[in-house]
Amino acid sequence: MRVRLRFFAALREQMGARGERILKSGATVETLWRSLVAERPELAAVPVRFAVNEAYVEGSHRLADGDEVAFFPPVSGGR
Amino acid sequence: MFRVTRRPIVVATLLRAVRDPAAGAAVTFLGTTRNENAGRRVVRLEYEAFHRMAEREMKALAATAARRWALRRVAMVHRIGVVPVGEASVGIAVSSAHRAEAFAACHWLIDRLKEIVPIWKREHFRGGQVWIGAQQGTPDTSTGRVASGRTGTRGRRRAVDR
Repeated sequence: MRVRLRFFAALREQMGARGERILKSGATVETLWRSLVAERPELAAVPVRFAVNEAYVEGSHRLADGDEVAFFPPVSGGR
Repeated sequence: MFRVTRRPIVVATLLRAVRDPAAGAAVTFLGTTRNENAGRRVVRLEYEAFHRMAEREMKALAATAARRWALRRVAMVHRIGVVPVGEASVGIAVSSAHRAEAFAACHWLIDRLKEIVPIWKREHFRGGQVWIGAQQGTPDTSTGRVASGRTGTRGRRRAVDR
């Protein structure tokens, strides 16, 4: 199956804004992230959150063909 | 009104969006670009959003607030792109029959917005720039790193070079 990738902020600067991956069926968001980290070990330090089709999900979320997976560094902060 | 925009935030527009004949109170909050952060002289902030999801999350927060407090109307706007010092990056307006609910909901909404709405902030200061995240606390300017994670080698180099 094919999924689209989106990256934001500091992650976008490392990975580019968009990408695409072919995955085995049954792949989860976590396995996808681990495959990205395997290619770029510096990503392991990034505290990342995930969204699929514009909704937050846990790493255990199973992906489907055509999903858009977004990777977020922590959001903007301020007290 | 739940909007991510490149334009300056206008308080009158926010207030108009929450006007309601049954409201006895309207509370507004503006988050503005401060000229100092963690001892650094801030020149400007730059925001980036996952636009549609950010608007959707703001709307969902307002729905949650309306279940928790008796509210009339809610409006939330976040500016993206460059926001100069002194200008607003985020604006919230809440109306309710009585003021306590509007104050409480407005406070809760800005706190939650900062935690979950997918918007990121890059601080440009004298001598560099760094991405700021909620969980990260204060960035270490000597390395461009932030407390709980890196901004990446490019960010680090910039923080040192400029």
